Amino acid sequence: MEKQVLRFKVNGDEYEVFIHPKTLLAEVIRDHLGLTGTKRGCETVSCGACTVNVNGKSVKSCSVLAIQCEGMEVTTVEGLEKNGKLSPIQRSFLDHGSYQCGFCTPGMLMSATAFISEAKNPTKEQVKESIEGNICRCTGYNSIVRAIEAVTQGKYKEE
Amino acid sequence: MSFKCPACKKEWPNSKQVARHMFGTGDKAHRGWIESQGYSYIELLLAQTTEPGNKSYEVLAELIEKAQDKL
Amino acid sequence: MSHAKYSVINTHVHNIDGVAKVTGRATYTFDVNLPGMLHGKILRSPHPHAKILSIDTTRALELPGVKIVVTGKDTLGIKQGIWRRYEELCDEQVLPLEKVRYIGEPVAAVAAITEEIAEAALDLIDVEYEVLPAVYEPLEAIKKEAPTIHEGVERNVNVTRHIEWGDVDEAFEEADYIREDWFKCSGQAHMCMETRAAVSSFTPEGKLTCWASTQSAYYTQGLLAGVLGLREGDVRVLAPYVGGGFGGKFELDAAMFCSAVMSMKLFKPVKVVFSREEDFIASKRRTPMFYYVRTGIKKDGTFCARESRMFSNGGAYTGMGATALYLSGFFHSFPYKWRGYRYDGYRVYTNTLPSTSMRGFGAPQAMFCSEQQIDWICADLGLDPFEVRRKNGHTEGYEVPGQAFIASCGLEQCINEIEKWVKSKGKLPANRGIGISSCGFMSGGIFNWFDSPYSFSSAVVTINVDGTVELHVGCQDIGQGSNTTMAIIAAETLGVKVEDIRVHSGDTAHCPADLGAWGSRQTLMAGNAVKMACEDAKKQLLEFAYAEMGINIVYDLDIKDRWVHIVARPERGLKYEELVKKALRAKDGQRIMGRGYYTPHRKGMISPAYSYMMQAVDAEVDPETGKIKIHEVMTAHDCGQPINQLGLIGQLEGAASMALGYAYLEDMPMEDGKLMNPNLVDYKVIKAPEMPEAGIIEIDTYEPEGPYGAKEAGEGLTNPTAAALGNAIYHAMGIQMKELPITPERVLKALREKKEQEAQKK
Repeated sequence: MEKQVLRFKVNGDEYEVFIHPKTLLAEVIRDHLGLTGTKRGCETVSCGACTVNVNGKSVKSCSVLAIQCEGMEVTTVEGLEKNGKLSPIQRSFLDHGSYQCGFCTPGMLMSATAFISEAKNPTKEQVKESIEGNICRCTGYNSIVRAIEAVTQGKYKEE
Repeated sequence: MSFKCPACKKEWPNSKQVARHMFGTGDKAHRGWIESQGYSYIELLLAQTTEPGNKSYEVLAELIEKAQDKL
Repeated sequence: MSHAKYSVINTHVHNIDGVAKVTGRATYTFDVNLPGMLHGKILRSPHPHAKILSIDTTRALELPGVKIVVTGKDTLGIKQGIWRRYEELCDEQVLPLEKVRYIGEPVAAVAAITEEIAEAALDLIDVEYEVLPAVYEPLEAIKKEAPTIHEGVERNVNVTRHIEWGDVDEAFEEADYIREDWFKCSGQAHMCMETRAAVSSFTPEGKLTCWASTQSAYYTQGLLAGVLGLREGDVRVLAPYVGGGFGGKFELDAAMFCSAVMSMKLFKPVKVVFSREEDFIASKRRTPMFYYVRTGIKKDGTFCARESRMFSNGGAYTGMGATALYLSGFFHSFPYKWRGYRYDGYRVYTNTLPSTSMRGFGAPQAMFCSEQQIDWICADLGLDPFEVRRKNGHTEGYEVPGQAFIASCGLEQCINEIEKWVKSKGKLPANRGIGISSCGFMSGGIFNWFDSPYSFSSAVVTINVDGTVELHVGCQDIGQGSNTTMAIIAAETLGVKVEDIRVHSGDTAHCPADLGAWGSRQTLMAGNAVKMACEDAKKQLLEFAYAEMGINIVYDLDIKDRWVHIVARPERGLKYEELVKKALRAKDGQRIMGRGYYTPHRKGMISPAYSYMMQAVDAEVDPETGKIKIHEVMTAHDCGQPINQLGLIGQLEGAASMALGYAYLEDMPMEDGKLMNPNLVDYKVIKAPEMPEAGIIEIDTYEPEGPYGAKEAGEGLTNPTAAALGNAIYHAMGIQMKELPITPERVLKALREKKEQEAQKK
């Protein structure tokens, strides 16, 4: 198979990369663009550490070929802050201590970001379900749920 | 009446307690003495834990009693 | 009495690594990328027990892009182990020379220009094995006819440990009631989100730099130096951010070893990262244990005697297993006073994944047996489970004979709080029950089995001209927040804010030695070192203030919230930053530096201090499917003075999630030594929708040995949960669960057996 050109936006910037069609989105993000915030924790699309947003939707970047994102807008954890100002969910995570080792955190933040942009007055159960695909070994999830709830309840505004 | 451990000379009121002490300590000196009497430390230990009764302790206690004269 | 009020301690402080972690800036070993870096992969044994007859690497070396293939023959062949002091416990060649002892054991490693090429090269390495008979269960491995796994080790008995006090036989004679039960406790995978990973870079000066996902940069440094024939000082280990450890990451693993061996031959950086599957099959696991427990009790509920025997499945190598063997038996007596206690533990080699330490260190297993049996005894005798625990519980000033001195103990308050909580729940619906379990846990061990000549923990603090502080510690932050905890202690002691402190950790070239993050030692031990260093620096600083202010000799100065002041008249003073400038000028431009260190010296015998708790689990069982739903977990907890408020809540909730997983979800079934579920689809960890609310009631005590009265929190919290869940199920359904994990199949089986027994009685 021949390499081909992929043109897409990542965190608001236009990128053009020359890749093998089998390359996963996660590999392009981490190895080609050097954005190592997005992690990988399994080979079976199970852990969610690689979660990013593609056109606003939460996607496990290990489950998607990069070329499938031609012309699309990808957001990774690095794209959540704007000129050094953290997004509401990031600030909420800091206040609630919603991370420990931090390895699952980028994926959690991206799942949460996609959920928050769509959810209207979600219940606690719905918040929990939004991160069902993200494994955390350290926190026991509850502090993450509290952080997401606080944002959906309007306690954090965009700066 | 007291009994001495043949390996470390520590004293106990009866031979069975010396036997427990020897099994429990299990270091080279204590194992070595048991082996020198022609018994396998490990075999006795495992028999004690996997078989009902106290046969291993009784065997060792007897050896300890016999050894008291030489200590 | 309530916990003392502090400026920084036990206040809502953000984790100091938070911004790095929530913005993707935190770089883990997994992310390290160096110029010219090669990628390493490991070839693993498909056999549980086999002689290595030959390894032909010719075809692999011919693959374009492959730079090297190494086997045991390319190493010094040193048998190593974490407990350097005891030669017989150093039994593992990471790349074995003569034989393999478990499926997944490394036999060769490849470095290539891409991961794909390295992976492809593995298939081109030809290994000739002579397959040997294998044995997988400890009670089989001790039989006379079982194959010998390590030459010279009789009956595959790796280690034995014995703990005894009182006259046990006499104590049993005093008992009115004796009960005996056998239990089977499973293993568990650490399942850190970041798998084992290392990047090694050896340069022509003969120095090795190793980025490692490790719980102790110092241990990794010492172990690598030992197996590679280097001086410790020529090895630098970096662990800036670590994606979880839980007890599985302070031994020498194949990522560290193979990347270093290959880098030393190529003089290029080599990165080895375990896949999730490799992490499951080839990093050591929690120790599976078979427990026989015999307990004698008076009819008024006074405990008389306990006699327990335990066989653990050690797997192929010792690892930290000797310590788990001892501690399991030690904590099995906790938190109660026994007139007579005897524990015989046997660790047996088998041809399976080696077992080692994992959060709880043998205590979760020990409590699963002890705390359930106590509830069953209470039911047999019509006694109240709270009252019995209160009656026999440890108290302040108690000495566990020859083992432990309990200087602070909030157990009784913990029991009282949980009793109130359980009673407030009232009558529960059918198939639902609340189970309790209490326990105690150590704040680090006093033993120095690594044979370190250094203080167990050390700290250096340096004050800059603007009052900002550099704090160099050796303790390792693996997510539990030790960087933040140390910053809090430093800020409180110096009288400044957390934002003024920069913590340097995870770099053996810049940080003092520290035994690392295991055995719940860091808050107490590293915390004491930090406190001492900061007190030293503050004292030096205040000397200049005393001179400057010229106050009466009876008055004391202190610093709080960056204000240097007379304690009796706090309005009189000067700004901390001003004092720092004056001190700097007075010392000829030399910055104020403070040094601190801590080593336990047999205080408390096994450990300098013990935390206590009681936990209640509210669970419901579906009698049709056997499935369990956890409604709520509530813990009353004594960790002395809490230091890191957010960190403590995180540790409690996180411990509950891991311990619940151990109790009813996580299983490592093996067939003929092969792990059947080495992936995150089949290995079930708890997910967000299943995680219940886990509340905490902190009990106020003060531990004299701990910094500001603090002791451990976070590991002890994994101890009670499996037992508490088992007790919940017992009270809900009347079935006794003697095997972990408590799966739906086991629940249904127990329900069936109960029904059959009841039918037979009629």
